[in-house]
Amino acid sequence: MEPIRYVDALNNKYGAMGFPPYQWSENDTAPWTPLTKPLADCTVAMLVSGGISHCTAAPFDPDARNDHRVDEVDPATPTDQYQIHDSYYDHTDAGRDLNCIFPVDRLAELAASGEIGAVAGRHWSGFMGRTYNRSKVINESAPAFTEELRADGVDLLIAIPA
Amino acid sequence: MGLVARVVEEMGIPTVTVSTGRDITALVRPPRSLFVNFPMGNTFGRAGDGDMQTTILRAALDFAVTATEPGILVDYPEPWQDQFEYFAGETTPEAIARQKKK
Repeated sequence: MEPIRYVDALNNKYGAMGFPPYQWSENDTAPWTPLTKPLADCTVAMLVSGGISHCTAAPFDPDARNDHRVDEVDPATPTDQYQIHDSYYDHTDAGRDLNCIFPVDRLAELAASGEIGAVAGRHWSGFMGRTYNRSKVINESAPAFTEELRADGVDLLIAIPA
Repeated sequence: MGLVARVVEEMGIPTVTVSTGRDITALVRPPRSLFVNFPMGNTFGRAGDGDMQTTILRAALDFAVTATEPGILVDYPEPWQDQFEYFAGETTPEAIARQKKK
């Protein structure tokens, strides 16, 4: 089937609520850092934006705007120890099996079998949608986040928008 | 999220984005995007289907190795088995009022 047109769907939804049309960033080019190591030597981290937090942490606010919160996620946490608070997507399946959207167990298996070098010391959850102050993401939140990845020796980040 | 991937990449760490929103990803243009035409929330497949989850995760990792062109977007070849639609979430007046307050 044809991919869902989210730009139209989201603007119809929020336009009906009285919000102005959301202007996604449009880029003609992209930055590039080559992956120079084989996967078997790479430390890999994941970042998900689906309102997923440890049960011991505060829930994400599904109605928030400009929420720059990003949580550290302990990769060793069992997948039934998470809560999901997000109104953007149907997380019925993810609530039953977190790996549908945030495949922490699957990545751990690939590390155990040697397909990747290691799972990073921390995964990440945050950068929820409806961010209107994007210059703050570009100039503050994302660079600070990148420093955390560097501290963990991350060679590759898997980013999972939701 | 695509913006974050761009910054991380700019600062020297390779990224691969696994997306279920093709049009948004094409606009924002992360460095490497694997589009999976599954419902949002099922990026790596179905609950309890570990094999499918591993297959898609492995496809993302392999793509991080093979991609050579900044801004590349490739389509994961397998379709979702059922028709699915945009998930509008809560659209009750109460939910709308709550969102407007913020």
